[in-house]
Amino acid sequence: MASLDEIGEAFADWRARSNDNPRLSKMVKGWDRVIHFSTTDTAQGFTMRVQDQLLSELVVGYEDRPDVIVTGSSEDFCDMFWGDLNPSEKYMSGEIKLAGSQQDVMRIDAISMVAFLDR
Amino acid sequence: MTSATPAHPVALRRALGQFPIVTTSAGLAFAALEYLAAAGLVTYVAGDSAWIPILVAGLLALMAYGFFGELNSMYPTAAAIRLYMKRSMDDRIALTITFTYMSTIVLVIASDAFIIGTALAHAFGEESWVSALWIIGLLGIAVTTNLRGVTVAGVMQDLATTIVVVATLAISALALWRSGHALHSPLQPLHGHSAADLVEAIALGVFLYSAFEWVTTSAEEVRRPESIHRGMLVAIGILGVVCALATVAMSHTLTHHELSSPYPQLYLGVAAIGHTGLWVMAGVTAVTALNTFNGGFVTASRFIYGTAREGSLPRQLARLNDRAVPWVPVVGLGATSLVVALMVALTGSWEVLVAVGAALEAMIYGVAAYCTLRLRSRHPETPRPFRVRALRLLGPAGVLVFGLLAAIASVSVNSHFNPAPLIIIVIGAALSAFYVLRILPGVRAREEARRAATPRRRPVR
Repeated sequence: MASLDEIGEAFADWRARSNDNPRLSKMVKGWDRVIHFSTTDTAQGFTMRVQDQLLSELVVGYEDRPDVIVTGSSEDFCDMFWGDLNPSEKYMSGEIKLAGSQQDVMRIDAISMVAFLDR
Repeated sequence: MTSATPAHPVALRRALGQFPIVTTSAGLAFAALEYLAAAGLVTYVAGDSAWIPILVAGLLALMAYGFFGELNSMYPTAAAIRLYMKRSMDDRIALTITFTYMSTIVLVIASDAFIIGTALAHAFGEESWVSALWIIGLLGIAVTTNLRGVTVAGVMQDLATTIVVVATLAISALALWRSGHALHSPLQPLHGHSAADLVEAIALGVFLYSAFEWVTTSAEEVRRPESIHRGMLVAIGILGVVCALATVAMSHTLTHHELSSPYPQLYLGVAAIGHTGLWVMAGVTAVTALNTFNGGFVTASRFIYGTAREGSLPRQLARLNDRAVPWVPVVGLGATSLVVALMVALTGSWEVLVAVGAALEAMIYGVAAYCTLRLRSRHPETPRPFRVRALRLLGPAGVLVFGLLAAIASVSVNSHFNPAPLIIIVIGAALSAFYVLRILPGVRAREEARRAATPRRRPVR
């Protein structure tokens, strides 16, 4: 199980990569959203916002009503934020669950993919 | 993965209610191809008795609804088809079947482009070759709007389905009323026809309901999970009533020439309210494109994207444009549909297309029955908020009945023996199998090698 600190560190790295990626900024233009992450193993919740083409900090707890809910294990989230995991594989195998419109779900996966396209 | 995910404490900001699920389910089934399938069904039964195979098909559709309802309740996700098939059978077989099934989306998009193009060309009194321009234009618009990430708003989809359903009901009822004479042999489907004809009619009848289950891909967007299977149930009821009335109206008022045209619905409109009816039904036919093109492109492109991301298709198919649209699948779908639509326009073989669609849909319903049965024994612990009753009886019955319908539909076109649909399906399945068995191992090996060569970024603690 990944600790809060580990998830926070991983997310900070992902956020920095995403916010510095001009292509990703284009992809989320006009796409202001609230995303909730929910861990199945540690029963923790986090909130991230996408606003003005930027990813916000990760807040512990659920704030506001979400546009997308991502549910998975803390380990998977940690690996996903570091770019060591292909979230689509976990989604297609049912280990990561998503709730939200198909367009929003696609956008979340796009963020996770484009941020690490150089790998 | 055996336990249900606990409900999230905060509801989604935007979630679909019951009505959009009903309209989505009915709308996905009610493509322009529906009218041709209904007209084609008429030739297999006597007089105005087409409602009987449609009713029987409705009961079979309810059986399919049970299977998809249980599968959706187990895996309430857009990726459900990959999940339940992979867990029911060897993944190579699952992938082969899935790729073959996905070709029905291409068929539906292509056939709708063809039908709408020819209907509009006829309505405007243009030469038949002009329909090719309409086809190119329609698919061009569909591809362009999808590439720009433009999707039809939920309210528009609701409106489109409501217009199609209400207009078809009204036009059919008016046509029957204006005919001025009683129904002919409404209770004798076998008069002058064989039992095999009736079975073929039922197979086409099942096709009239098919694609209602595609609404399960919206499982992640609903306010309540039960909305999906309730919506499918209501949609089947709506489709049964509309298709029965439309088919009887067609059999009662249209000539053989009109029934075998690629736009029988236009003639039905004329029978109802004269020349104005032609324009009403031309408009309705065009409106079906909203749901078909929107739903078809989004569903298929997203499936291809997800399968490519999963590593079961080449990575190039997961490329996104700046609007986060998987552009390679969208362009590929558009191009493939265009080729199929133009081939149909050139050869006039739309009836073969209907038969291929009917056979493929019956096949997937048989597969759904099999998967539901297998998963009951392989994964009995997986929560099933919706369970099919008497599965021990209905499961094998579903496999048998839908398998039989698929076989019959694949060798019959316009009440004559014709192996063309079977040949097309076998070629499609063979290509899918070739890819899965010969190409995919290399794709996966290269992906594995790429990952193995990529160092992990997560710090070791």
